[in-house]
Amino acid sequence: MHLAQIIISALTNGAVYGLIALGFVLIYKGTGVVNFGYGDQVMAGAYFALIPMTFFGVPYWPAVIIALLSSALLGMLIYGLFMWPLRNQSLLARIIATLAYGTALREFMRAFMGPNAWPFPFLLSPGAVAVDGVLVVPANLAIVGAALLVLSMLYLFLERTFVGKAILATCDNRLGASLIGVRVSHVFLSIWILASVLATIAGILVAPLLTLSPDMGLIGIKGFTAAVLGGFTSLPGAVVGGVVLGLLEALTGTYVSSTLKDVISYVVLFAIILVRPQGLLGPLLVKKV
Amino acid sequence: MRRVAFAAIGFGLFLLAPHVLRDFQLFQLCLIAGTAVIVLGLVVVTGMAGQISLAQSAFVAVGSYGSAILADKCHIPLWAGIPVSAVGAAFVGFALGQITLRVAGHYLALATLAFTAIVQLILIHADDLTGGAAGMPVPAFAIGSLVFSKAGQLYYVIVPAAVTAFLIFANLLRSRFGRMLAAMRQSEIATASVGIDVLRCKALAFAASAFLGALGGGLLAPLTSYLDPAQFGVIEAISLLAMAVIGGMRSPIGAIFGSAIFILLPEALQHFQTYLGLIFALLLCVSIVARPDGLASLRLNLGRGR
Repeated sequence: MHLAQIIISALTNGAVYGLIALGFVLIYKGTGVVNFGYGDQVMAGAYFALIPMTFFGVPYWPAVIIALLSSALLGMLIYGLFMWPLRNQSLLARIIATLAYGTALREFMRAFMGPNAWPFPFLLSPGAVAVDGVLVVPANLAIVGAALLVLSMLYLFLERTFVGKAILATCDNRLGASLIGVRVSHVFLSIWILASVLATIAGILVAPLLTLSPDMGLIGIKGFTAAVLGGFTSLPGAVVGGVVLGLLEALTGTYVSSTLKDVISYVVLFAIILVRPQGLLGPLLVKKV
Repeated sequence: MRRVAFAAIGFGLFLLAPHVLRDFQLFQLCLIAGTAVIVLGLVVVTGMAGQISLAQSAFVAVGSYGSAILADKCHIPLWAGIPVSAVGAAFVGFALGQITLRVAGHYLALATLAFTAIVQLILIHADDLTGGAAGMPVPAFAIGSLVFSKAGQLYYVIVPAAVTAFLIFANLLRSRFGRMLAAMRQSEIATASVGIDVLRCKALAFAASAFLGALGGGLLAPLTSYLDPAQFGVIEAISLLAMAVIGGMRSPIGAIFGSAIFILLPEALQHFQTYLGLIFALLLCVSIVARPDGLASLRLNLGRGR
């Protein structure tokens, strides 16, 4: 296969991984929890758009808006029901809580929407167009575009708005932020809402590429890998990590073996955690006593 | 004196059960016993040592596939193959512990998650050994010419093995080793400061959990008689952790409760089959929010005779 072709398709996957990684990083940076339910939130977000479209005949864009609103509500619920009551508990309990609500979301969809895959509409045409000998799929380009758009909007939100700055301040120093009058609990709530909305955007974009079934949430593992590659605390790092992972997968899939393509992201995750837990871009970690 | 009485009652019940219960109920009993051994591993590593592990289903795979492959390729009978693979799993667990436990908390969860995913992919792609995605049959459990194939027969293997494992580990957790784990869970730094090798201790806890996972897996393999790689994934690892959380993570009894709930719930709720997974997930949610730290407010002092 043409190298340019490989890179184009790698970029699509990479953008998806990066989008998912963004949500992980946001929650981790802000609240100190690695969210093991995030992949399931991505899955649920896609269902939130699918349900109005399939059962109530709502057109695409209104359905997307409904999905975004319901996911904001979901974010609030997760914070209110799990993360706020457990805020003073051990990390172990909070990690298990994220696993717990993720499992609940997955099983909820399995119970009410069935275990089988649903077709999901593409944002743009899935037919390939030849540009200069390289096949380009508009639907895939939309994913890359959306990832970049989300990243830049997130950047503007965090750097240019008051709420965003409060979030960054809290990420940086929780105590300090609360001393200058930032309501930390409100910031955490907005982080969960924001991350939940991001999950839904990712879900709507990737659902047509993957099959939308309750187990789609396993894509979250790829998001973890991307986030870990990028250092787990850097938002641009998450996107870079996603693209690096996409390229790694595509290159091993083409030049080594397609079996190894599936394994590579787990091996990378494993290796990075062992060798360089601060990620490729992160600063050195120092354990404080 | 109480201990002797307990043992006598237990032994009496053990002998009585096959005459009272139906074959399917014996099957469930075996399933609970085997699963409880697996979950006991999580009680040791997560409940006692405070290290989250999503690798348990990978160790279960090592035990069940390991013993089945040893029987298939090397003609080692299951009664020998199961302990051998369990010890093998313990070494793998120790090594995994040594290299991953340097990182704590969420990174550990991620590393064990990746480990499970890698093991599952190996099971799917090593067709020659494991039968690939289609899975492999498990040879019958036999000692000499004595073949145990039905649940009623395997009962005499699985339940005593599980009880032995529980007795050993329940005692171990109340020994010096158990106290070291508990101390480590509360403060690693304080534990290290009194001269305990924290890393080795954690790796040992990991080895113990791997041993128990593989032992349980090996015991369950002849009962289910067929191995499918789809049963050994990340979602199954989460289910096992859920059983430990629901049952209570700070005591071995919790492992039995958790597995019993997981296995008996489907029968109690036969009319709600579609919602089973959801009900179990909600049970997990309630457990973790209601008892986040103890994870075992059910403090049963069984067997602590005095």
